[in-house]
Amino acid sequence: MGKSKRAGEAEDLNLVPIMNLVTILIPFLLMASSFVTLAAIDSTLPAIGAPPEENVDDDEEKLNLSIVITNEGWTIAGADAVLGSSEEGEDAGPTVPCSKPGCPGPDSYDRKELTRILGQIKDRFPDEENVILVPESEVPYEVLILTMDSTRDDPDTKEDGKARLLFPYVVIAGGAQ
Amino acid sequence: MKKSSRRNSSDGGLNITSMMDMMTIILVFLLKNYATEDISVAPSDDLQIPISSAQKAPKLAVNVVVSRKDVTVDGEWVLDLEQGVDEETGDTEMMVPADDKRGQLISKLYDVLLEKAEAAKDLGQRTGNADFEFKGEVLLQCDRRLPFSVIREVMFTAGQAQFGNFRFVVIKGSG
Repeated sequence: MGKSKRAGEAEDLNLVPIMNLVTILIPFLLMASSFVTLAAIDSTLPAIGAPPEENVDDDEEKLNLSIVITNEGWTIAGADAVLGSSEEGEDAGPTVPCSKPGCPGPDSYDRKELTRILGQIKDRFPDEENVILVPESEVPYEVLILTMDSTRDDPDTKEDGKARLLFPYVVIAGGAQ
Repeated sequence: MKKSSRRNSSDGGLNITSMMDMMTIILVFLLKNYATEDISVAPSDDLQIPISSAQKAPKLAVNVVVSRKDVTVDGEWVLDLEQGVDEETGDTEMMVPADDKRGQLISKLYDVLLEKAEAAKDLGQRTGNADFEFKGEVLLQCDRRLPFSVIREVMFTAGQAQFGNFRFVVIKGSG
């Protein structure tokens, strides 16, 4: 009986120094750990000066897709024509109007509709990857990011298990003054 | 006999094993969360980074932070923003003080960025390494409520100082 008790005692490790070590490590790691993961969206300014001549093919239809962001909604224009406005002229409203007048917040922008329309454009121009964003001065930065998200890919349509890429290359134009 | 000896040993001291188990799990969890990113943000009330569905990892570059209070470049303060009234809409919005601007160019920011660009070019030439070559990349951390007019002025200034490739830093989320 006594022998077995001694064997049990020998197995007991002294864990207190390890505890000390771990207790010191935990605050240190807590400080260094990050709980938000960051990402980056690449964008360029429109090239200043003449654009590089890249095999200009007159037969090929150039899209020049651009999206004007205002506090009424999104207006999509491409190939020198404004999309979706049935009336000709200046008074035609935005292609994708906000759900509430004046767009009080980013939620009022109808991003599903924008992604759907861009999906249709992508069907017609499968090789086009650029989009020009033209935000107005008073548009908040988060709406700009929201627009980039909506134009980049379509999470509802899958291609090879990934969200379908629409127009991932963003150029930000100076915008209406 | 058996029963009494077990009771004696449990009364002897603290049972530390379960605590060790817990600590080990916390340690592994924290090690997994260990920040390995090149850049870090210090979110505050004045700097709320927007959430986006972007997946691309941010790379190290000149870090321009535009909060609702001020503009900093690589952690160094450059200028303060002020509240002003927009001439067109009449709303109160954050804007760059008119004294600090020449047209759309923010003079103080331009000077700092130009210095950074020269230093980066110099480094690229000395090392001759493609990794250090000056690509004109700038990381933009902006508050999500800032109007585009401020962002445009910062972008324009960076563009003038030869930084033409922008990376907007966002928080990865469902978007």
